[in-house]
Amino acid sequence: MTERTPLLELKGVSKRYGGIAALTDVDFKAYSGEIHAVLGENGAGKSTLIKIASGVTDASEGEVLVNGTPFRFRSPTDAMRAGVVCVFQELSLLPDMTVADNLSMAGTPTRGGFIDQKAQRARAVELLKRVGCEDVHPLELVKNLPLSRRQMVEIAKALAKKPKLLILDEATSALTAKDVERIYLIIRELREEGVGILYVSHRMHEIEELADVATVFRNGRKIETFKKGARSVNEIIQMMIGREVTHHYPPKPPFDDSRQPALTVSNLSWGHDLNGISFTAGKGEIVGLGGLDGQGQRELLLALFGVLKGVEGTVSVDGRSLQLSGPRSAMTAPLPLALIPEDRKVEGLMLPMSVRDNLTLASLQQLRSGLGIDTERETAAVNEMVARMQIKAPDTSAAVGTLSGGNQQKVVLAKWLMTDPGIILLNDPTRGIDVGTKQEIYRLLRNLAAEGKTIVFYSTDYAELIGCCDKVLILYGGRITRELKGEDCTEHNIVAGALNVNPVPEKAA
Amino acid sequence: MNVAAATQKIGLDVPVMVAFGCIIVILLAGSLYSPEFLSLDYLLQQLQVGAFLGIIASGAMMVILLGHIDLSIPWTVTLGAMMATALGGWIGPAGVWLAIPFGVLCGAFIGVLNGLGVAYLRLPSMIFTLGMNAVVQGLMVLHTGGFAPQDHATDAMHFLAVKRSILGIPNALFVWLFVGLIVIFLLRRTAFGRAVYAIGNRESVAYLSGINTNAVLIGCFAFCGACAAFAGVLLAGYSTKAYQAMGDPYLLPAIAAVVLGGTNILGGRGNYLGTIAGVILITLLQSILSVMQMPEAGRQVIYGSVIIGMLLLYGRGARTRS
Repeated sequence: MTERTPLLELKGVSKRYGGIAALTDVDFKAYSGEIHAVLGENGAGKSTLIKIASGVTDASEGEVLVNGTPFRFRSPTDAMRAGVVCVFQELSLLPDMTVADNLSMAGTPTRGGFIDQKAQRARAVELLKRVGCEDVHPLELVKNLPLSRRQMVEIAKALAKKPKLLILDEATSALTAKDVERIYLIIRELREEGVGILYVSHRMHEIEELADVATVFRNGRKIETFKKGARSVNEIIQMMIGREVTHHYPPKPPFDDSRQPALTVSNLSWGHDLNGISFTAGKGEIVGLGGLDGQGQRELLLALFGVLKGVEGTVSVDGRSLQLSGPRSAMTAPLPLALIPEDRKVEGLMLPMSVRDNLTLASLQQLRSGLGIDTERETAAVNEMVARMQIKAPDTSAAVGTLSGGNQQKVVLAKWLMTDPGIILLNDPTRGIDVGTKQEIYRLLRNLAAEGKTIVFYSTDYAELIGCCDKVLILYGGRITRELKGEDCTEHNIVAGALNVNPVPEKAA
Repeated sequence: MNVAAATQKIGLDVPVMVAFGCIIVILLAGSLYSPEFLSLDYLLQQLQVGAFLGIIASGAMMVILLGHIDLSIPWTVTLGAMMATALGGWIGPAGVWLAIPFGVLCGAFIGVLNGLGVAYLRLPSMIFTLGMNAVVQGLMVLHTGGFAPQDHATDAMHFLAVKRSILGIPNALFVWLFVGLIVIFLLRRTAFGRAVYAIGNRESVAYLSGINTNAVLIGCFAFCGACAAFAGVLLAGYSTKAYQAMGDPYLLPAIAAVVLGGTNILGGRGNYLGTIAGVILITLLQSILSVMQMPEAGRQVIYGSVIIGMLLLYGRGARTRS
């Protein structure tokens, strides 16, 4: 079997974004007529692998071979021509166009230069039948379809391109159980027809059921490729975690259950993303939010900061109830809140503006005197903060965009520390920054906690949650499914909780 | 480094220097045509005419810095003039001075409506203010139709727009200076000014930093409306009466002046010194083209081309932003 020429082969492929390696020296083969599962934690390099395979980005190093011949994908269209088609997590349909229009987006049937409506419709009917969506009318607008139907249309659209290698990235996460069955059926049919399939999923049981071969990734490296049944679920989890200790964390104080509550959340709900979340965070406590990416962690932080509209449930800060009406009211709570947002380029910083302007943006009210800003006090505060956080900038008037990622993140943190917050919400603050700065941030968080500040901390890096947090809440589908305290915060418990596979928490050795 | 820091501090960056450079080139080119172009009298005359444009551009700049645009300027100018002159007729001699703040307030009110539409209804400012321009136009036609309201400028307007009280310097220039100082103070020294730049760069960052972004949007549109109406009041004083469509020739030059001065048309970057340079540049360009007997059509073509050319030079900062 391994004698065959692989449909798609990656040889020594690496990919770096800025200074950060997303994929390092990966060899990977996908054969026709085979379902290949790709496994790994958040940030293990799965998405990057898929992006390279489908021509969305270019590899920094290494070769991509299609049927044994080197091939350079410059765009997804190139990849499609080579027969590689990808169904992405984010839906790529145009909501205001009909199902038939969407299905024929590439390769519209024409007659005399005009769109052949009849042929286009016939083709849509055939494709919809293929994915078991006979109930969807081809002239329905995509925006009127429920999410699960849209996902099926997305798959039909991929099939329209007659793929040789079909990549499914979390394709079932939006589907109902019946549709998932249907997808399994289609995938198996495609395999019989000789199509190769790359299947990315976080659901372990799906992988057990479907995959012929699986490959585990960790920290941008390929760990192992193995055949179905060769490894147990526990072994796979172990591979995904790894055993390397790459960071040093400041020492944690012993877990203390009698802390005075600073933040009490009860029954917080928002649409389908948050379903009755209740928890308490004490003064001087670091509370981690864990779980797979996109299980409501971000929404929870945004809801606490008052950014989301229509949130139900109550939040109280230091015993007094908090109006969830906007950042302004969160910032003037008895213990002021601060939110370090996820994407510092879009939500945290104004890149073309100076370090100084960025630092003081959230604390201008405090720096006021009379009508204007007290510039002397401002300069003093900025200089003090730059020194305290060791922000490396040529000058406080330099544009923030010219700093390194780590220093940019320090500016975001410093900006919020200038408001003297009592509760600090952090949304994945160490993503994409260097190890040295990460460790500075861990120390900073621990020092802030020691000063009595409350920290709620979402991270996609499990090791970070274990190293930093006094308590970890695992979210799954917008609910808190597990609360791990003190010694219970182990990698195994967190990963098992996130995958929702092992209901019995393992006691730490 | 020190020279660079000093020029940075007063806002003398590359686009501003280019604009001032262009002013000198135009004056020199003009002086070849006629030495009159370098006389003090001619220059003061140009500055007086430029003051009206300068006041309008001051307001337009605040809105452009936000990343928005105000296309209701033409009829807000006319509204300011008509309301101010009409008040003189309604309340008699008491209106001589009161007419001015009344006209300005009417303009600010239109600005507030623009701001509400952009901030709360989240409609694109280009469409909303264009609609507002048409609404105000209709109202003004209604105002002048059949009632024959007073349209003569009061003495106070005439005094501010035409007279030269100190050292032969036109009073209009002092009015522009006053408005300019307000803008400079707002932009450089207040939390409001910081918020304007912040919103122009990334509204989401400003909002997440606890800034009341809607209030800032409304404030800037109100200021723009007030400036446009104030200029209208002065123009009525300059030409002794208010008349239909008197603001129409000011929209394009005002936006052009702001953009020529290096303010990013997409918002977030720009300083007032640039706008001053832009206003002078546009005014001189207009003057020289008319002295050279360039027909109106040709002038429009040259304006448009100059604006597009400058946008090509500076307006593409967006690409380097991320």
